[in-house]
Amino acid sequence: MVKVTLDNVSKFFGKVKAVIDLNLKIGDGEFIALLGPSGCGKTTTLLMVAGIYKPTKGRILFDDRDVTRLPPRDRNVGMVFQSYALYPHMTVYDNIAFPLRLKKVPKNEIDRKVRQVAKLLRIEELLNRKPSQLSGGQQQRVALGRALVKEPDVLLLDEPLSNLDAKLRVIMRAELKRLQKELKVTTIYVTHDQVEAMSMADKIAVMNAGRLQQYAEPSELYNKPANLFVAGFIGSPPMNFVEGSIKEVNGEYYFDSEHFKLKLPSEIGEIVLSKTSEVIMGFRPENAKIIKEEQPNTIQGKVYVVEPLGKDVIVNVKIGEILVKILARPGIEIVPGQNIWLQLNMDKIHFFEKGTGKAIV
Amino acid sequence: MALKIGRKVLPWIFLAPMLIMIVFSWIAPVLLTVYLGFTDLSSKNFLDFVRNFFTEKVHFTLENFEKIFLAKDPYIVEALTITAIYVLSVLSINSIFALVLSIAIAYFIRNEILSMILRVSWLIPRIMPGIIYALVWNWFIDPKYGMLNTLLKIVGIPEAWLPESWLLTPPYSQLLMIMVNGYVGASFGMIIYTAAIKSIPTDIINAALVDGASDFQVARHIIIPLLKWPMLFVVSWQTLSLLSSYEYILMIWGSGGGGGYAGIAKAAKVMVWSLYSYSKAFAAEEHLYGYASALSLILVIIGVVLIVLYFKLFGFRRLMEPSRIEV
Amino acid sequence: MGVKDKIFSVGGTTLILNILKYVIVIIVAIIPLIPIWTMILWLAVQSFSGKVILGIIPSDFTFKNWRFLWSPMKMGLKEYPNIWPITLNTLFLALGVTGLVVFVSTLGGYALSRMEFKGRVGLMQFIIALHAFPSIILLIALFVILNHLGLYGKGIMTLVGIILIKAGLEIPMATWIIKGFFDAIPWDLEWAALVDGCTRWKAWRTVILPLVLPGIGAISIFSFLSGWSEFLLVFTYVKDEAYYTLPVLIYYMIGEYKFIDWGMLAALGLFYAIPTIIFFSTSQKLLLRIYVGGIKR
Repeated sequence: MVKVTLDNVSKFFGKVKAVIDLNLKIGDGEFIALLGPSGCGKTTTLLMVAGIYKPTKGRILFDDRDVTRLPPRDRNVGMVFQSYALYPHMTVYDNIAFPLRLKKVPKNEIDRKVRQVAKLLRIEELLNRKPSQLSGGQQQRVALGRALVKEPDVLLLDEPLSNLDAKLRVIMRAELKRLQKELKVTTIYVTHDQVEAMSMADKIAVMNAGRLQQYAEPSELYNKPANLFVAGFIGSPPMNFVEGSIKEVNGEYYFDSEHFKLKLPSEIGEIVLSKTSEVIMGFRPENAKIIKEEQPNTIQGKVYVVEPLGKDVIVNVKIGEILVKILARPGIEIVPGQNIWLQLNMDKIHFFEKGTGKAIV
Repeated sequence: MALKIGRKVLPWIFLAPMLIMIVFSWIAPVLLTVYLGFTDLSSKNFLDFVRNFFTEKVHFTLENFEKIFLAKDPYIVEALTITAIYVLSVLSINSIFALVLSIAIAYFIRNEILSMILRVSWLIPRIMPGIIYALVWNWFIDPKYGMLNTLLKIVGIPEAWLPESWLLTPPYSQLLMIMVNGYVGASFGMIIYTAAIKSIPTDIINAALVDGASDFQVARHIIIPLLKWPMLFVVSWQTLSLLSSYEYILMIWGSGGGGGYAGIAKAAKVMVWSLYSYSKAFAAEEHLYGYASALSLILVIIGVVLIVLYFKLFGFRRLMEPSRIEV
Repeated sequence: MGVKDKIFSVGGTTLILNILKYVIVIIVAIIPLIPIWTMILWLAVQSFSGKVILGIIPSDFTFKNWRFLWSPMKMGLKEYPNIWPITLNTLFLALGVTGLVVFVSTLGGYALSRMEFKGRVGLMQFIIALHAFPSIILLIALFVILNHLGLYGKGIMTLVGIILIKAGLEIPMATWIIKGFFDAIPWDLEWAALVDGCTRWKAWRTVILPLVLPGIGAISIFSFLSGWSEFLLVFTYVKDEAYYTLPVLIYYMIGEYKFIDWGMLAALGLFYAIPTIIFFSTSQKLLLRIYVGGIKR
């Protein structure tokens, strides 16, 4: 139950910069997710917290203790690997007991703790089996048991659900979250699945190409993304982006793209133009309404493809050459090829600087 | 129709040369060894034998086996003892020392380049042509020009303990015999074990480290248990290999002693069973082909029995991939 | 964990264990190598030195040790055969073995890999069994066989006999290795070639052959080196000095010159080792693959 702090941590493998200047503060008992696409450095970061990799630069602190130079065995962390990494030649019991055996804990104490953890994870009947005789879900729980039995200060999970089938994954998501709340152990969870991260974590650290993009609560990431990458990564279906520029004409502000002109509320226009005029506008699929007749300050487009999903309908609309996705209610009567107009919710528009991708509004 | 027959026959056309060679180099000699073991073939009746396979000058006899089993040959017991010492000592080097060596090279050392240099270095004795190996060893043990005694003195071994001739004085000669074959044998175990160690998924090693294991504990609890089958393979294979190996002994003692390997090896007490058989056939003044064949036959039988055992124990697949571990 | 354990584990035990780890590596892996490295260094150094200090420090650079290249070696009244015919004999043996092994095992390996026939599995098991069987105990019987075939004591024919025997001994392993290379070629490739319009023969030549060439290269080098290194067969069966090969010559030379001229012996050894050194420095990866993958000796 400790605070974990990463202080300007970088990891280079020769020329490859896996993690660059990472600063992260994780509170005691918090459940945070490291989210990002493959190769963004999240697993590398996890392995550094575990002690398997040593940071090239920077420090790692547990509470106020500098653990940067400590080997894994001295850190009291528990880790669940993506492949589960169960010892194939040992039974489930021995697998879970292993960390305690290494610490020379007395035998009856080991037995008590192993059974306690097995009960918690509902794998008591499996104790005498070997890993090869277990299903994926069972193996995962054994791996979890092995990580938890030593009552670790920090729990690390590397994409633990990615090898499970979709149904099991949804069940395990809730299980893991509940477990963490009960045990109150500081947890770092690595995943590339943003739905998983959003549903489970207290805070999410979004990473890309080795750098931290944004570290915030899920709702903030969703509503106030710090840059283009976060905005496009979080949310499904993803945010729509249109390039263009901001113009001021007679005190009125406009967003001018190749195919349409949109009048902006003055507060927004003023703020954006003060930073830059070349921008990328973003709006989420659920923040635009499809209208059948032209109205002032709407964007004209043509329906391209309609994807009915049951509870929603995704309408793909072509605006000039750009394709955007709009979320609509089922029952909407439109056909491909039809001309429609989009009315954007002005409260929920985002603007990003063209070059850097940083959010302005 | 012709095509159909052709298709059935074709494989055998491809296989024929190979099968002929195998009969020539393996099967015929084995059968012949069995036959000769029961004869009194020697230089006396050899020429007759060559001219006529069934000549009456060559007699069926059980005398050879009497010499062996009833110890009518005074040297038999000594040959057996020396062979036992030789096989057991080198076997422990090949299997146990090689295991420690492999863990050191393939696990304790994380630097790939250093690991590779060490692996190649340990392979050198195996890769060198045998006679060169014999040459450099002969130099190495030379009391005046060689380095062995010098190096041992540096380590602190008193001069009184060092022999004048490593080649001729037992037990030093036997130590030498074990060392020489040990280096070559250790690389066999190293090859198998390092491959096995490298095939252990890194996640499992990392999991053990996170669970709190030191490198020694990883070696003890994870690596060694997983190397069970490779170890068994190395021990089995090397047993048969060592029982019948004599080439290095012959080369070193023979060349070092001025060509007369038989007398010298016997005096130095390094004449193992297989070398004894060889010398009975080919050393000057002996040429007891029948008796030598009988001696060889014992090894042939042991060989066949062991090989059948290997197949039963390991199965086809494991014999092909001795470094495979069950994960 | 008590406070004491916490403090101790942060610096203490881990450091000790680390040091112990490296001590073991040095004792087990490095120190035993010192004799080996010394021996090799000596070979290189002594062959060019008149005198050698402490075994490995050269002094007195000279080519005298290499005199066997241009004049025959004499020992009192005995004159040893000239080096060049002997080298030729060795080459003959090595190349003969190589040619025979490559030819026979390529055919056999292809059949084992790609053809259907009864007893295929049995044959494969038999070949593996041959790996394990110690061939050097068969020398007596082979001697008799050579005599029966009229190949003993007949000058060059004896060497031919030896080529046949040696090739026969190497063929099981070579076949196995080549079979592995054939196995690695996906069937689809051959079929694609046939669909594209090749005849069976053309497909073999343009698609399959290039892909097994590395395998053929590997067993060629391997067979050559094994023929080049062959000692026992020549030593046992060849009694005419003119038909000695280099290993046998060196064997006798060691006996003669051991106390007199280590320099020449070293040079002789280095001379003989040249092909081995060349092949190993140029095709390391390929050969290590065989040694690690194929050889079980």
